[in-house]
Amino acid sequence: MPRKKRTCRFCDAKEVYIDYKDDKRLSRFVTEQGKIIPKRITGTCAKHQRQLVKAIKRARHLAMLPFVSDSIR
Amino acid sequence: MEKPRLYETTFIVNASLDDTQVDAVIGRVQDVIVKNGGSASALNKWGRKRLAYSINKKTNGFYVNIEFTGPPPLLAALERSFQLDEMILRFLTIQLDQKALAARAKAAAAAAAPPPADPAPVQPREPLFKEPVPDRKS
Repeated sequence: MPRKKRTCRFCDAKEVYIDYKDDKRLSRFVTEQGKIIPKRITGTCAKHQRQLVKAIKRARHLAMLPFVSDSIR
Repeated sequence: MEKPRLYETTFIVNASLDDTQVDAVIGRVQDVIVKNGGSASALNKWGRKRLAYSINKKTNGFYVNIEFTGPPPLLAALERSFQLDEMILRFLTIQLDQKALAARAKAAAAAAAPPPADPAPVQPREPLFKEPVPDRKS
């Protein structure tokens, strides 16, 4: 069965910068446990995935996103 | 003399302080910036937020975001003062690059601009072939 082609959401929106302050948006790219979802699942392109990872790690440092979710601890 | 750069720092103040004390902490940070040859261009208080995990056994924090320009040595002084201040739980300073500024300008423009009007009317198009296309087989 042919799988539906996923496109990079950031490319579609023509984003040039992913902000660490936008924690609601970033939280869509982490699992319930708080792990970063790989780009093979989300379809994000390599360029934006690198920016995304950086933003998520900055947000984690500022306790806006969890390193490990409460439900796991 | 090195060129001043544009930075942005976000820090978390202990939320158990009351508002005047929080303002005092912010004032101290601004003092450090000004004394070291910088100037703050924007101050955003995001207010009290729940932390995603506890820092120093605290579950809430008061988030403050300051944008400033200054020479690079300012950062060392600023980070040292953050570390010495016990009321500051966490801080993050980043340099704002061109991309960040472009994204911000775009967001501001999107917020300021009215919602897009109706799409432009479609122009009637000239027919591609004036004459009927000759049949290839013949």
